[in-house]
Amino acid sequence: MRTSRNVRRLLCFILIFSLALCAGCARDRSSGARGAKVVISVWHPWGGSQKERLADVINEFNRAHKDIQVRAVFTPNDLDSNQKFFTSVAADMPPDATFVDGPQVAAWAEQGAIAPLDSFIKASGIKPEDYFAPCWQQNSYRGKVWAMTYCADPNFAFAWNKKVFRECGLDPEKPPTTIEEIDRMNDRITKIDHGRIVRIGIIPWLQFGNANAMFTWGWAYRGSFYDPKTQKVTANDPNAVKALEWMVSYAKKFDVTRINGFAAGFGSRDQNPFYTGQIAMQCLHISQLDDIKQYAPDLDYGLTFLPAPAGGEVHSSWVGGWCLAIPKGSKHPKEAWEFLRWCCRDPKGTQAVGRLQSLLPGYRKSPFIDEVRTKPGYSQFLRIMEQCRHQRPVMPAQSFYMGSLDRAVDYAVYGRMSCREALDESTKETQAELDLRLAGR
Amino acid sequence: MIRKTKSSATERRNLRNGLLFCSPVIIGLATFTLYPVCASLYYSFCNYPMLKPPVWVGLANYQTLFHDPVFYKSLGNTAYFAALATPLGIITAFFMALLLNQKVKGMAVFRTMFFVPSIVPMVAGVVLWLWLLKSDGGLINTILGALHLPTPGWMSDPAWSKPALILMSLWGVGGWMLIYLAGLQDVPVDLYEAAEIDGASPLQRMLHITIPFLSPHLFFTLIMGFIGAMGYFTQAFVMTSGKGGPVDSTRFFSLYLFQNAFMYWKMGYACAMAWILFILVLLFTLFLFKTSARFVHYGGEK
Repeated sequence: MRTSRNVRRLLCFILIFSLALCAGCARDRSSGARGAKVVISVWHPWGGSQKERLADVINEFNRAHKDIQVRAVFTPNDLDSNQKFFTSVAADMPPDATFVDGPQVAAWAEQGAIAPLDSFIKASGIKPEDYFAPCWQQNSYRGKVWAMTYCADPNFAFAWNKKVFRECGLDPEKPPTTIEEIDRMNDRITKIDHGRIVRIGIIPWLQFGNANAMFTWGWAYRGSFYDPKTQKVTANDPNAVKALEWMVSYAKKFDVTRINGFAAGFGSRDQNPFYTGQIAMQCLHISQLDDIKQYAPDLDYGLTFLPAPAGGEVHSSWVGGWCLAIPKGSKHPKEAWEFLRWCCRDPKGTQAVGRLQSLLPGYRKSPFIDEVRTKPGYSQFLRIMEQCRHQRPVMPAQSFYMGSLDRAVDYAVYGRMSCREALDESTKETQAELDLRLAGR
Repeated sequence: MIRKTKSSATERRNLRNGLLFCSPVIIGLATFTLYPVCASLYYSFCNYPMLKPPVWVGLANYQTLFHDPVFYKSLGNTAYFAALATPLGIITAFFMALLLNQKVKGMAVFRTMFFVPSIVPMVAGVVLWLWLLKSDGGLINTILGALHLPTPGWMSDPAWSKPALILMSLWGVGGWMLIYLAGLQDVPVDLYEAAEIDGASPLQRMLHITIPFLSPHLFFTLIMGFIGAMGYFTQAFVMTSGKGGPVDSTRFFSLYLFQNAFMYWKMGYACAMAWILFILVLLFTLFLFKTSARFVHYGGEK
């Protein structure tokens, strides 16, 4: 009798305990209703110092809005995959707004992870011309607009190390303007000692990964990667093949294992081989302006447009950067839109983002644009931005395409496949994947 | 008659209470293990991009898989790794255990030292090895160079990337070493004495006393090591920033599975891969049991 009572007591305890646990899980949902202020959650991808700067931007927003309060949540996002976000949408508990990598907007839209913004855009009187053209194109998919450009990254500026140029008897004020000049200068700069690379002019495929390098040089060679009208992948475009052949020529000249061995281990930002003078020419991302200030303040370098081959596209570059979107199932879309509008279109908001985070807004009439027109570093990036014509293919298999190009370049650079074969393969597999996704509508 | 009903009533009550007591575990197991396993089997027959409802496509995922060159490449990589890393790990751990079973002063310190690597967080360990294996100026190549030995490109050379990972895996065999060490302490000393009196050489003593006594431990680590190697993921993921390069040489099965599931959102395809891996591991483990079990001696056996 006694034991059974104890048993019952214990069972009761377990029951109550688990109920309490469940209650704890469920409590979070009903907040926000009380009080006049609506709290909205925004998921962002920034850690480190950018996280603090974003917090400053959000403080500005909160100060300017009496009835909305933004709560920023850091969610790791390695560009193409954001497991936490997708899971939250699948579970119908998404944040009110989220950051999305520009090239992924189409994929996330196709997936049904984010909601179209057209009605908001119309109501706010926003026009496509307000933005740099590739930014707007990147966010438009299937006749709708799915995201707003938070920051427009002109990819890339071509940077050269003036000190190394001087050491090698090159004119430090004359960067290469053509691919042929790069090759000539590279021959002067590269130094090999007992089979070890000490310094190299350029590593063509080491520009923010193989795939980004492929796009960057591919466009410079007038290559194309995707035809949105016919929905055909065109990675094996003869000009893209030529671009890859140029990249591979460096792998053949210097032995790819040796180059990649030289480049490995440059993991952290302060170890960037361009900052240390081990690589003399490299594509630079706008965020690196601050990096260099912090990690290599004495670096003597210049920034210019991307060189192109003879007959190639002069001043080719493409746009990247983060956008803001409203997830499907967002509980406060109106307030979330106000956050999007303020950050991405409002003169004050875009100025705050630019000043606090040192990023270029996509809104081309932002007062911040005029502010940086004469600022060293930024002015060059701004000029590149104004000439940007490309964005990565706006299609739902974007990240698959990136992975596929990454492999193609790897196989070509290591001599396992000819450039043509590698890009044929990439075209074929990406097309199959794209067709699958388009069919799955 | 009455006694029987009474006892069965008690039995029933006990069963009910027992089940109720177990219920948190049973419910947990059903929701978090049984359901996902069954669901993954269903999804493997679907086109399932996570945010949209799964669409039944029959065997299409499996058919695509069997024509996917990367699938075979990743399977080959995993087989290579499992076939080399498991036995090498066992041998290394075994000899470490033999050494650490000696009666030397300060043995506790040595044992701790050899065990510590296996409690270093995996990612931290990999980052450390990334530096050790750097082909230019990494510690390993600096030593090899000083000895006038060839200095491979390790992670930048497709021929050396897998050996590099195997080398790294040997660093973390402290856990197995500990298992062997426990086993070694159980070997009766009088057997060694008897063998010594009979004139058995140290090698004979090891072959006929130590190894048979340790065979259950060796067998256990063989099975666990093999299963672990088939699921090898974290180290390769961190080491290659999730890419599996160079030229797919470290794209292991689980890495490719992960890429399909969480980078390309091909959940159905990834589930199909998971089931193929499961079946392969199951078959091979059964094979190991059938072939190796007769070499295993348990203390109580006749």
